[in-house]
Amino acid sequence: MTGPDALEQHLPLSAAVFHVLVAIADGPRHGYAIAQDVEELTEGRIVMGPGTLYGSLQRMCATGLIEETANPGEAGLHADRRRYYRMTPAGSSALRAESERMLRAANVARERLGT
Amino acid sequence: MRHRPGDGGDRIRSAYRHFLSLYPQHFRERYEADLLQAFDDRRREARFTGNAGGVRLVIFLLRDFVTSVPMTYRANNGRRGVDGMMSDIVRDLRFSVRMLVKNPIFTLAAVTTLALGIGMNAATFSAIHGILLRPLPGADQPEELVQIYREWPGIPFGSVSVPHYQDVRDRTQDVFESVASWYFEPLSVSSDGQSERTMGMVVSANFFQTYGVVPALGRTFIPGTEDRDPGAHPVAVISHGFWESRFGADPTVVGRTVTLNGHPFEIVGVAPSDFRGPLTVAAPPIYVPLMMANVLRPAFNVLEARGSNNMTVVGRLREGSTIEQARARMEALLLQLREEYPDHYESQLSHTLVLQSEAGLHPSFASAQSGMSTVMFVVVGLLLLIACVNVANLFLARARDRRREMGIRLSMGASRGRVIQQLLTESFLFSLLAGAAGLGLATLSARLLSSFRPPIDGPWAFTVEIDPAVLLFTGVVSLVSGFVFGMAPALQATNPDTVSAIKGEANVRSGGTRASSALVVMQMALSLLLLISSGLFLRSLQAATRIDPGFDDPANLAIASADPGLQGYEEARSAEFWDRLLEEIGALPEVSSVGLTLYAPLGLNSSDRGVAIPGYEFAEGERTSLRYSYVSEGYIETMGIALVEGRSFTRQDDAEGAPVMIVNRRFADRFWPGESALGKVVRTAGRDWQVVGVTETGKYQSLGEEPQEFMYLPVRAIFRSDLTIVARAEGDPQVVLQRIRELARDTDPDLPVYDLRSMEDHMGIALLPARLGGSVLGLFGLLGLTLAAVGIYGVMAYSVSQRKRELGIRVALGANRRSVLRLVLGEGLKLTLFGTALGLVAALGASRLLGGLLYNVNALDPVAFTVVPATLVFVSAIAVYLPARRAARVDPIGALKGD
Repeated sequence: MTGPDALEQHLPLSAAVFHVLVAIADGPRHGYAIAQDVEELTEGRIVMGPGTLYGSLQRMCATGLIEETANPGEAGLHADRRRYYRMTPAGSSALRAESERMLRAANVARERLGT
Repeated sequence: MRHRPGDGGDRIRSAYRHFLSLYPQHFRERYEADLLQAFDDRRREARFTGNAGGVRLVIFLLRDFVTSVPMTYRANNGRRGVDGMMSDIVRDLRFSVRMLVKNPIFTLAAVTTLALGIGMNAATFSAIHGILLRPLPGADQPEELVQIYREWPGIPFGSVSVPHYQDVRDRTQDVFESVASWYFEPLSVSSDGQSERTMGMVVSANFFQTYGVVPALGRTFIPGTEDRDPGAHPVAVISHGFWESRFGADPTVVGRTVTLNGHPFEIVGVAPSDFRGPLTVAAPPIYVPLMMANVLRPAFNVLEARGSNNMTVVGRLREGSTIEQARARMEALLLQLREEYPDHYESQLSHTLVLQSEAGLHPSFASAQSGMSTVMFVVVGLLLLIACVNVANLFLARARDRRREMGIRLSMGASRGRVIQQLLTESFLFSLLAGAAGLGLATLSARLLSSFRPPIDGPWAFTVEIDPAVLLFTGVVSLVSGFVFGMAPALQATNPDTVSAIKGEANVRSGGTRASSALVVMQMALSLLLLISSGLFLRSLQAATRIDPGFDDPANLAIASADPGLQGYEEARSAEFWDRLLEEIGALPEVSSVGLTLYAPLGLNSSDRGVAIPGYEFAEGERTSLRYSYVSEGYIETMGIALVEGRSFTRQDDAEGAPVMIVNRRFADRFWPGESALGKVVRTAGRDWQVVGVTETGKYQSLGEEPQEFMYLPVRAIFRSDLTIVARAEGDPQVVLQRIRELARDTDPDLPVYDLRSMEDHMGIALLPARLGGSVLGLFGLLGLTLAAVGIYGVMAYSVSQRKRELGIRVALGANRRSVLRLVLGEGLKLTLFGTALGLVAALGASRLLGGLLYNVNALDPVAFTVVPATLVFVSAIAVYLPARRAARVDPIGALKGD
């Protein structure tokens, strides 16, 4: 199980990890779909090649942020062959904590800029 | 449609699949299918289709590999060990490559400097390896080959006569599988209306079998048949090179006829391309069986002359036999032969057996070879050290800039060893790059050396190439130098004083600068050592050209050789040929006088023969064999050799006249000290010769030789067909050489005249070693000087840029520019002078070692020891002046604001 201490060690999340979590926040997705979503979310700034994608997914599985899951019933090209990923509770708390941290930081920035 | 054939998709995919092996195994096993699936998904995207898309995809994947491969290794970094270390190395490499690309000028400077150093080492090694160290190319199991020489007093590696060889071959079968022999023989070769003079090889019938060489075409000689019946086997084997150059690699060459010295020989085989003869420096184009020796050179029956030693003998040890057993067998054989032929074996002491692999060019040059090799290696080693010092300095300067980075890493918990590993990875990467560039340099020099031909007739072929041994050597040298120049800066940069490093207040004048100063001093000292050594060689060369050779102006002496015996002339016809030529050349208006000799002095040829002097007892071990030449009337006068007393030869000193000889002053002083030599008798060549003249002692074989005894015998009294004509030209000797060529052609158009040159060019042969040594060392010295100058410039420039602020303050506080200039200049010069002093001490030590290789130059030659250091100081002064001037121009406001 992952306690609050363990949560601390993930923060701050790297940009790639953050966006992968965002990509699967509303339900399981397969690898390529995650990469596409990340690309969209970051307006093309993060384009994950196959190795980078699965390297990141492997590490995130190892740290307990995400886990593999069965195909949630999607059809599509080779859907049966693909690995799907979903967020773990630890992942979701890490994403929540990170979003709040970013929000706070963004608010401070806005305040100081006087917008 | 997943893959459109022909659009390259398959190829990229299969390459991608291949490259997946870069990932750690556990990752691959788990995700291979997913990775390929992701690849296919990407491949379908619009931006990655078509040709341009393919290129984009490849770049995309490369970038993906660079980021993800280290990441997947790091994933299981928790358990260290080989995997963990591998991941460190991969990460370090990635980082190093980034640093390398980030500072292209730094990279270029470091790699070029190092490449020069490594290249010189690789080139030297490839030359020495190719010529002296490696086993004979093309021979089967060369370690079993033993060279056999006869030993006489003062001659440890004497050649062997044909009858002696035959006895060795037939009576040592218990220790040797087979025993072969060979010698070089000048041949005039004609086929298809072309004729040329070349150096062929006369070999025993079992020559190729002994070396374990199988012909590329046809057959070799047949032992047991073609080593019997003199004159009955007009067959020849040609070399692979000659087959290509002369016969256009014609596959039907076997069975064709060539004319050798006027006799038809049938080509029976072509040697394989990897076997170029028994020596690494020569590639004889034609091999002829020993039994044909008398046909090629009819004037002399070499096959039966037990006293005429001209062959090199090589035996292949039987399996299980040792060289010691072979030595013992040869001793026993000598005792037998002494009983059978007491006259011939009285003076032979024993046999000398040398492993072929250790014989080099000839065992009698062994010490000269290893001496020269050592000098070369020391010199290039020093050069590499200087280059390493330079690069270390560059790294040191950069390490200071990176102390902050290192400090942060250390304080973040990286171990010192880990940071050093990172820095060493970087320097190894540099050294391997430099090694590759150096190898390019070595290839170039190997090609140059392979095409080098000494100015001496012969089938020269220096087979210098980049083989695995050279590659290995270069790799090791590169890694060692990477370690040498990487370690000091690594230690320096990871100095545990991290706190001040992070604060960025690393004292500019601290250890780092001191370390570079020490390196600069060392570099100066090393280059001085190198430059003085090459200076000594150059001075020695200079001195050699001033040595009195014992004859007049070599510039207008023309010399030319011919051998009518090669064309099958017997004695009377040969003598007639030479008489006629002598007369015609003497009558030329461009020639003031003319003479004949067996060979011109200061070439490579020399002959000596045993003498007995009535009334003189040779001490034991004293050399009884003395140098001689046969000369005609007019020779002493043409050469301008000074006659001390008595007379020179006349036309009447021939076989009918009384046997008379001329000796040199050294000869006379040794055997008849305090008396006149005239009328004394010398017993040699089976006759008693009366001394009728004494000449000054000259130089006979090399300009550097000690004075030695010499005797002249009248060529009209002892027949030789191969002679050299010397003519004193009135004016240009080239004109005379042309006339000689024409006259010889008029006499016999088929008779090749060779070695036509002025005496001055001929003497170039004697000066060749010194000239080569001088120019090679000079080149290295110049390189060393350049490296040292670059080194001191780099250090001073860096120090000035670091002290901009300090200098700015000085100027702001009222120091004038002149005093700033003086300050910086003074510091640089202090280093230079200190290094020079150190180098002088080292050079004094080295000159003692070099003494033996120099002639006519004091090892403490004042010129070398003053001009060279002065040059070095001057060049470094310029190197120091440039940054100093920049320092003096420092703008105080800008410098103070700058930080």
